[in-house]
Amino acid sequence: MAKILIVEDEKSISDELVILLQNAGYETAVIDDFVYTETQIERTMPDLILLDIGLPGQDGYRICMELRKTSQIPVIFVTSRNTSMDELRALSLGGDDFISKPYDLPILLARIQALLRRSGQTEKDTLTANGLTLSLSKGEIEHDGQRADIAKNEAKILFCLMKTPGKIISRPDLIEYLWNNQVYIDDNTLSVNVTRLRGKLNNIGLPDYIKTKRGLGYKI
Amino acid sequence: MKIGGFLHDRLMSLLLHLFCMLMLSTFLLVTGTDSGVVSIILIVWAVGLCMLTAADYFRKRNQFRELEAIMEGLEQKYLIMECSPKPNSYVGRKIFGLFRLAEKSMIEAVSDAEAKQRDYREYIENWVHEIKVPITAVELICENNKSETSRKIRSQLAIIEGHVERTLYYARLDCIEKDFIIRETSLTDIVKKALSKYRFLLTQNNVRIETENLDKSVYTDGKWVEFMLEQLLSNAVKYRTDSPVIHICAEESDGKTRLMVKDNGIGIPASELRRIFDKGFTGSNGRALGGSTGMGLYLCRKLAESLSVYWEADSRENEYTAISLCFPRPLSYENER
Repeated sequence: MAKILIVEDEKSISDELVILLQNAGYETAVIDDFVYTETQIERTMPDLILLDIGLPGQDGYRICMELRKTSQIPVIFVTSRNTSMDELRALSLGGDDFISKPYDLPILLARIQALLRRSGQTEKDTLTANGLTLSLSKGEIEHDGQRADIAKNEAKILFCLMKTPGKIISRPDLIEYLWNNQVYIDDNTLSVNVTRLRGKLNNIGLPDYIKTKRGLGYKI
Repeated sequence: MKIGGFLHDRLMSLLLHLFCMLMLSTFLLVTGTDSGVVSIILIVWAVGLCMLTAADYFRKRNQFRELEAIMEGLEQKYLIMECSPKPNSYVGRKIFGLFRLAEKSMIEAVSDAEAKQRDYREYIENWVHEIKVPITAVELICENNKSETSRKIRSQLAIIEGHVERTLYYARLDCIEKDFIIRETSLTDIVKKALSKYRFLLTQNNVRIETENLDKSVYTDGKWVEFMLEQLLSNAVKYRTDSPVIHICAEESDGKTRLMVKDNGIGIPASELRRIFDKGFTGSNGRALGGSTGMGLYLCRKLAESLSVYWEADSRENEYTAISLCFPRPLSYENER
């Protein structure tokens, strides 16, 4: 499990970031005392650092500069400043990415994932639940040796449901998840997609794979 | 400088010369001087006077041309006195001194106003950065406590963010050129980011998004185009009808790339279409719905001017509004490659 270090002086934000990142499956550490920041960072040994620029005493640029002398840990600058100069400065001082507040959370998580992947951490491509295997890169589902191709939207819907088997996912939750993954559909289109997906599941011998809980949502 | 005007200024002294010539010649003739001698005196006098006047005229004219040339080259015209040579004449120096004083107070007033404006802009920028901290916190809290309510809050939060961004960009409007990084930017990325930012506003209003042909790239500053796109999305949501659909597509034609956002909203009356990019113009729709500031598209126009892109707008009432951003393709660059 990748460890992410949060260097942020606003406690309201760092607290919530911890919950967010833990929900996304990361281990977290927080620095809230900015006296010996560099040594604290070294001691924590994170896989990735979320670094605020406006810190008390010293700024994030400086911390990054010091850090780059000894290590290549990926650094994402997170800040409420958003001029091009800030961005250039952050990147030229060795930052790997720059995200301005208020963060777009799906984008923040996607960037974290991308950076961790670049530095050697891997993520899953196939998912198996209740006898069905979903391969994201191939866009394919498999059950008992029977395969079927599915569209991108359908794969995303299935992935969201298969992540937590047995748990009911409400339609708004599902739509939110899809929008976070660049599938921009409305309520009606979701119904159409789910119907089509059920048809395909039926063809490979899983007629009642996706269950509808009336008024609540879907589950597998 | 015209010679007529110059002579008009010296009319009194010239008349005096003429009067003196008349008096002298009368006196000399009366006292029995030979008329040939008198005419020689008069001719010498007249020639001398003409030469003196002409020399004076040409000197003045050159001086004035020099001043005009200085004025031409000055960016801040009010700094003319700082750059012009001090006159030789006593009266000239006196007047020059007065103007120097006037100019000094002018410079002070201008720099005061500039400093005030800069302070105010910095305050606004700081305010925006500070307000973003609690907005981020609310965003995170909502993300960590998902519910129907949190989605509603986040949809409103997107509206707040929109207002805050517009304030920031309005404050920066005077010096946006300093904030450009022009590079190859993928339209897909820009659209993705803008949609992501407004996803709660869009999903809460059950908007369907159709994207088409967006796998193109343009040379521009992604951040600013994203901002402009957000204004269009926000308008499309504001002026929607039932079952709203927003169609976003790109096309290349006549050496330009066009990014179009078309909605099926209430549309804009033809008579108002020309004015939608004007500052503070809200139109009949804006007045009917309220909450319209007339700033979004104005900022879009200003930004487009700085980025050398331009807008095309088309609409039919109660049917659609289609607004396109046109990026001229850098042909020379393409050829070099």
